[in-house]
Amino acid sequence: MSQRIEVITIAEDGRAEVLEANLARSGKSVSAKIVDVYTVEHDIENPANVAALSRSFVNPVTQKLLTRGDEGDFDWAVEIGFLPGVTDNIGHTVSELSALTLNDNQPVYSSQVILLKGRLDERDVKNIAATLHNPLIQRAAIKDAASYKKDGGMDVVVPKVRLSNDHLVADDIDLNIPDEDLAAIGKDGIRNADGTRRGPLGMSLLYMKAVQDYFKKLGRPAKDIEIETLAQTWSEHCKHTIFASPIDDVKDGLYKHYIKRATQDIRAAKGKNDICVSVFKDNSGGIVFDDEWLITDKVETHNSPSALDPFGGAITGIVGVNRDCLGFGKGAKPVLNRYGFCLADPNSNPDFYRGKGKVNKALSPATIMKGVIHGVNHGGNCSGIPTPQGFLYFDDRYAGKPLVFAGTVGVIPRDINGQKGHEKKAQVGDLIVMIGGKVGRDGIHGATFSSVALDEGSPATAVQIGDPITQKKFSDAIIKDIRDLGLYNAITDNGAGGLSSSVGEMGGDTNGFTVELDKVPLKYPGMQPWEIWISESQERMTLAVPPKNIEKLQSLLEKRGVESWVIGAFTDSGKCHVTWHGETVMDIDMDFLHDGVPETPLKTTFTRGGEAEPELEAPADYSKTLIAMMSRLNICSKEFVATQYDHNVQGSAVLGPLQGPGRVFAEATVSRPVLNNPRGVVLSQGLAPLYSDIDTYHMAAASLDIAVRNAVAAGCPIYHLAILDNFCWCSSEEPERLGQLKRACEAIYDFAVLYGTPFISGKDSMFNDFKGYDGNDNPVKISIPPTLLVSGIGVVEHVDQAVSLDPKMAGDLVYVLGKTRDELGASEYYAMHGKTGSNVPETHGKGNLALYKAIGKANKNRWIASALPVTLGGLGVALAKKCIASGLGMDLRILSAIRLDKFLFSESTGRVVITIDPKHKQDVEFLFGDDAHFLGTITERPVLSFDGIETTIADLETAYKYPLEDF
Amino acid sequence: MTAKSLILTGYGINSEEETSFAFETAGFQSIVRHINDLAENPDELNDVQVLCIPGGFSYGDDTGSGNAFAQKMRLTLWDHLQKFVARDTLTLGICNGCQIVANLGLAPAIDKKYGERFVAVTHNLTARYQCRWVDVAVQDTNSPWLTKGTKLHIPVAHGEGRFMMADTTLKTIQDMKQIALRFVKPSSCHPEGAQATEGSREILRYAQDDIKWENAKGEFPFNPNGATDDIAGITDPTGRVLALMPHPERGMFTWQRDDYARLKDKAQREGKPLPESADGLQIFENAAEYFGIKAEKKRA
Repeated sequence: MSQRIEVITIAEDGRAEVLEANLARSGKSVSAKIVDVYTVEHDIENPANVAALSRSFVNPVTQKLLTRGDEGDFDWAVEIGFLPGVTDNIGHTVSELSALTLNDNQPVYSSQVILLKGRLDERDVKNIAATLHNPLIQRAAIKDAASYKKDGGMDVVVPKVRLSNDHLVADDIDLNIPDEDLAAIGKDGIRNADGTRRGPLGMSLLYMKAVQDYFKKLGRPAKDIEIETLAQTWSEHCKHTIFASPIDDVKDGLYKHYIKRATQDIRAAKGKNDICVSVFKDNSGGIVFDDEWLITDKVETHNSPSALDPFGGAITGIVGVNRDCLGFGKGAKPVLNRYGFCLADPNSNPDFYRGKGKVNKALSPATIMKGVIHGVNHGGNCSGIPTPQGFLYFDDRYAGKPLVFAGTVGVIPRDINGQKGHEKKAQVGDLIVMIGGKVGRDGIHGATFSSVALDEGSPATAVQIGDPITQKKFSDAIIKDIRDLGLYNAITDNGAGGLSSSVGEMGGDTNGFTVELDKVPLKYPGMQPWEIWISESQERMTLAVPPKNIEKLQSLLEKRGVESWVIGAFTDSGKCHVTWHGETVMDIDMDFLHDGVPETPLKTTFTRGGEAEPELEAPADYSKTLIAMMSRLNICSKEFVATQYDHNVQGSAVLGPLQGPGRVFAEATVSRPVLNNPRGVVLSQGLAPLYSDIDTYHMAAASLDIAVRNAVAAGCPIYHLAILDNFCWCSSEEPERLGQLKRACEAIYDFAVLYGTPFISGKDSMFNDFKGYDGNDNPVKISIPPTLLVSGIGVVEHVDQAVSLDPKMAGDLVYVLGKTRDELGASEYYAMHGKTGSNVPETHGKGNLALYKAIGKANKNRWIASALPVTLGGLGVALAKKCIASGLGMDLRILSAIRLDKFLFSESTGRVVITIDPKHKQDVEFLFGDDAHFLGTITERPVLSFDGIETTIADLETAYKYPLEDF
Repeated sequence: MTAKSLILTGYGINSEEETSFAFETAGFQSIVRHINDLAENPDELNDVQVLCIPGGFSYGDDTGSGNAFAQKMRLTLWDHLQKFVARDTLTLGICNGCQIVANLGLAPAIDKKYGERFVAVTHNLTARYQCRWVDVAVQDTNSPWLTKGTKLHIPVAHGEGRFMMADTTLKTIQDMKQIALRFVKPSSCHPEGAQATEGSREILRYAQDDIKWENAKGEFPFNPNGATDDIAGITDPTGRVLALMPHPERGMFTWQRDDYARLKDKAQREGKPLPESADGLQIFENAAEYFGIKAEKKRA
């Protein structure tokens, strides 16, 4: 018999008041009360014990245990709870409390009852319930007051996973079958006995035939787990086959030919000034911080899961990339998070369905936006890692698949008792140790699924929710207690593909491993061997531990409340060998696993996009136009995100996400991750997806230039700056899309080498397409604009050289550095007029490099009082932002060959607006020469004035701050 | 003489390193100790003068922030904690630590009823996590933590920082001088009309040397969580136990401040050196002074 322990809040409850406010906004005047419910699986008979346990979570000042009748007056009760198998962190905590308090270690499940009072009919309540839960992971139950009272409350529901334990064996799969059947397995998965399919493997017929041949040679049928493992390991997500394949005349593939080669060329050219230490080979990339420390960086995407469950997708994205930091070298300490979201307009509500006949509706843009923002909020804040830097970018083509970028920066000593901090290698005989959480069906097929377009068949099991506290416990244990004892030889993250990839990768060190799958701890019974092997249950790391250290390691972990399990050993057998209760279920060659993937040569075509330059009327009222620009979604303030992400924890914040007394959202931040060391880490980002509509070469060039320029303007010397690439593409099976991809790669090679900024890590996500139906059941395909996020990470030798974006004093001089050209193609200004045009900004690397070096010199001398790169929206927007940030005005004269609106809103790259103390006038003008274009002066009077056109800072501020403030 | 500070960690506490650094900077010998290790060897408390529960997300705030960690401490350490606060020691709870101290009943502990819960520190009125800089004024208090310093510019970062209590409790802790810190707002710089921008308001603040402050009166963002009577921190009857929601350790150096860029620009123009320490450090220095520590400071 199970039991509900219900806690009602008797004082004012912020949660309830905000819910009421949201409902009011949708036109319903309702009062709400929230009841927190903990359902214990086995009745705690003794009331004294219930009291003892509840004392730990009932606050007598604001809450009390709910007894029937104490609900007060209400009309409807809505209960939201988790579906079976979904991570329930609150439930876990209460069951820990029960173990602590009553020595009664039993499952507990959390849920929430919302008591509603107001004039609502059943349909209203159903709609409200729909907005309060995600049916993929949660259940909603509704009762009116009468039946609630009649039944004595809501029903007792125990969301326990109940799977049968029979037939838990690895099946033989006969691959000697016709090609169409082979292809079917590759597309929809292995066929179960009942004829259903196990879910997409994302394997082409070519791949399946390679597998077929291999097992023909072995002369035996394949086991299901062997096929699943090959699918994981060969997936686009893990092997990046599109970047690896020969493409046109580029025999060594895009990654080796453009990205890796750029870094090699830069390192060679820099010689002894090379800042790279560990690039491309580990979970993160690592560069020099100083003689003592390295800094590491990695940016991941988590797009497909976020489309299905925005909160779960985003939180697993951020805690997942945290593990890429912990998994760098011997283990780096996470010191900074960053984020980026590409979304559809949250005020729009497109009518898209995954299934024919209006089934499986795609989530609304607002729901997706709130969900992904909250996911990074909970993941980052709970982990105690500051999250200062990020962006939101809006385009309606992200409605089907949002892009969710999550990055983590780490620090690690260069020397850890005599060994290099960034080096690790599993040794033959090392035990394979899994630490952290147990294994469930979470994220089965996550890796293969994120390599295919989202459609009706998208598996809900790919959805999972992170548990940051479990991860925080082993993160602290590893980094703060264990790492420096040298108890393990290697450590890596369990991410996509779960054990199959983490053990598979580490096995490469020794050329073999053997795993006893029945030693892997499970969340619940009834899992098939292949599911255990590829499950992507979160919060797990895999370690290679010499047998002599195992006892010490496990006892240290236990002391920190971290579970660990020995599941096998590394060998030099050349085989991936897996057993299930003694029986061998996998026995394939390491070479085939890692190098057996067949090459698929790719062909591309390219056509420049865009249209003729539009003939726009010059604005009648420039103030109105500028104000309209300030409130565009891609320009307006994102403060509501910045303030809900803890960017001060660890005490390292120097320049945060909101700069100046007027709090303008910054595109670069500076932190001081080692408190007793004055060096700063500069983070920046750059993207320009709209430019892809004309030419992806210039899109990629601009993205890279913006990332570099943002960092340089904030005080980072360009010689100590590295970059990361995240390609998010669409329909990557089409030659035209591949042509756009190739052009983008050509561009980032050209400009990375020119600037001397090496790539140290990257990731790609190639199929960001949504395939479904509109409200009239017409098939629709929504493809994102080809998007490249470039992230910058650099080091400034002293944080006092950091430069914020806000002007400091009236009387200071305003300059724009760099040339403004008639380049409004795919600009925010044209977009506002519904145009694309053709003059896409073209990046002039040589000139920019000279300018960026000069800015570095000026910053060493501290001549620049404030700096803001000119990006989306152009110079007019940059000037307005600087006024808002400072609360000061500007008095400007604009001398320009091109028409004023084009001058103000052109998005020519390579430009930075600076303000300086007049006493540095000569130095600055001499240093920058023709690059320095004097515009005017800063004024006390809070008005932005150019050529007699006047706009009050108050109006600009309102336009800039209101559009998203209600989210 | 030297004194020892012990900083608790574990289960999602996450500010132990910078907090320990703050105590070291003020001249303490500081140790970071995992709750499980202290539970194993609780007598260690006999050798330390300061116990600090720093900020974090213990147990992910599940069931209410600080609840689970407080229960763990209650079950494993209670007798030792009572002995500790009875001695001439200092105890500090910051943010999550403040929530834990309140749930443990170490503060306000009216009439020295240690262990009784008198106040709740609960969901912000905005029901949203708030990370921002605030100003708190030191109230009429006898707390050794607050002997010097009258107003602190330091950050908050919490989702559940709203002090709530019965009116009788409020009156008692007011009368007994157990309200240590209140959120305040500038009273004398509200430009009107066209000038009423966030930036220009702040600018005026910078312009004034003797700026007047008044209680935030619940006004967001000055009072970031809707706390009753703008309360940001409370003490036990002796003043030796301080529980506060803001983070002094994140505002102990000038380079940590939200207005650092302006301050260093101003100092550069005036040719003056930029003071290295900021408001937050005072709290740790006051504690050091209480134990007569000569702060030959370890500087960042």
